[in-house]
Amino acid sequence: MFVAQLRNELLKLFARKRTYIGFGAFLFVQVAILLLLQLPKAKRAFQQLLESNGYGFEEYYSGLTLGLLIILFTVGMLGALYLALVSGDVVAKEVEEGTMRMILSRPVSRLRVLTVKFLACAIYSFVLLAFIGMTSLLAGVIYRGGLGKLFVYAPHEQLFALFDTREGLWRFVRGVGFMGISLQVVSTLAFMFSCFQMKPAAATILSLSVLFVDLVLRNIPYFAGFQQWFITYHTACWVRTFNDIVPWWSIVQSLIYLGALNLTFLVVGAMSFCSRDFKA
Amino acid sequence: MIQIRGATKRFGPRLAVDALTLDVPRGQIFGLLGHNGAGKSTTIGMLLGQVFADAGTLTINGYDVYAERARALERVGAIFETPGFYDYLSGATNLRIFCQYTGRVEEARFREVVRLVGLEERIHDKVAYYSHGMRQRLALAQALLPHPELLILDEPSEGLDPEGIHEIRHLILRLNREWGLTILFSSHLLSEVEQLCSHLAVLREGRLLFCGQWRQFERNRRWIRVRVTEGQAQAETGLREAGLVAEFTTDGHGRLAEGGEVPAVADWLVRNGYRIETLAPIERALEDFYLETIHVRRSIAQ
Repeated sequence: MFVAQLRNELLKLFARKRTYIGFGAFLFVQVAILLLLQLPKAKRAFQQLLESNGYGFEEYYSGLTLGLLIILFTVGMLGALYLALVSGDVVAKEVEEGTMRMILSRPVSRLRVLTVKFLACAIYSFVLLAFIGMTSLLAGVIYRGGLGKLFVYAPHEQLFALFDTREGLWRFVRGVGFMGISLQVVSTLAFMFSCFQMKPAAATILSLSVLFVDLVLRNIPYFAGFQQWFITYHTACWVRTFNDIVPWWSIVQSLIYLGALNLTFLVVGAMSFCSRDFKA
Repeated sequence: MIQIRGATKRFGPRLAVDALTLDVPRGQIFGLLGHNGAGKSTTIGMLLGQVFADAGTLTINGYDVYAERARALERVGAIFETPGFYDYLSGATNLRIFCQYTGRVEEARFREVVRLVGLEERIHDKVAYYSHGMRQRLALAQALLPHPELLILDEPSEGLDPEGIHEIRHLILRLNREWGLTILFSSHLLSEVEQLCSHLAVLREGRLLFCGQWRQFERNRRWIRVRVTEGQAQAETGLREAGLVAEFTTDGHGRLAEGGEVPAVADWLVRNGYRIETLAPIERALEDFYLETIHVRRSIAQ
């Protein structure tokens, strides 16, 4: 029955119009970013960066490079918002609409209900991020007429790397996979708030507030020495997979940190959900 | 079927249910009556393990609803005043989603239940397009699908039109008589409870005021209507002092004292010079019984 219940949870998520509006919104933003990247100023800065380091602009201004740039901007702008929106809804919305009481009148444990919901949420997050990865790459490839070579530049991570097509594509796919794992923490955070006695919108806003405060504090010079304490430092670990020599230990440390956070958020959410009263 | 022993629930400073002890016998339609905030929904919430009791035990079929939740609720179906559904999905998909929390439902059973609640024409439509009555019938279907022995109905007729109320009433009676289901029925609609329930519990501010067979209780408390042309108040006092009538309500209804008979009342009135306008035995409606129970503010539990 577990599989059937999980399938139903996914059905509930994917049958909603809003789900596709979200996917549509991402497509729209991707196209908008692609257009913005064509502005002479943006193109010139890019060209200057490559040519001042002795590389050809045409060679590296490719489908792969544009695809990765689109992902960076799209996920930065909308990714956390949308993950928090969906995960913040998943329990709180059902409580608000009365369907949770219908479920809890069944001979099923609260922990089972929560586990199924969390898994559905995690699958949804991966599907969404995979969708963003694929469509970003597709947009870049269509615009440039092929994959080309990959150029990655991330000053925050002190990253400047170039790859040929084969290695670039592999790095791209692997990077998107790690992004899916690391951004799971956003879903889990919103899921935890969703388990508390609050409106769905409050769960989303609270999650985004936590991430926003984390990001702002992280960028204050005073906290430069405390980078490893911030969630957003670790969620960016996927970018490090594009280093020439991948700092695996640093990435594993980030994933352990995020895993511990995920577990904590889940336990706290489950404790709240399993001990609260459900009443009309 | 249901045993509640000393169940207590407090929400902050408010005592919602106070040491409630109640038995619902198998095969009965059992009414739960009370004003808003009397503790009916909290009691139902506790029975379904949705609200945690601060004290006491609640069992269904001998299983504790908290410690043995799965077994206690295995053969239970429940519907609420405003049942929640996934509006963007069809009625059929909603039924399948809810029922998969209990177990697999055979196709034949699915069709039988959908036919019983009269939704076969619209079961594949989105729930968003259902009327309130159809939603209630869909709720009843989801409660019936997993072969329940006990149905818990929290205000099932709320918001329905007279025809919908009539339909639900007949369905409940049928489920009790033909399917042998035990039904715990909570409602504000006294006329519905009167027509459906043989046993009932009356709650007020979380306390149990009455529990038992109200008609039997009333039968043992025979009532008469007395009207005299002049001196109504003196006649009532006289009848009470003579030990023929135990009490009078404001509308001239009197409860006969033990051993009191209608001819003896007539005889006393005539002997004392009163001219009788009306003197007749009456059968009290549930409303009279309920209001009296609620306002007397004392436990008359059987």
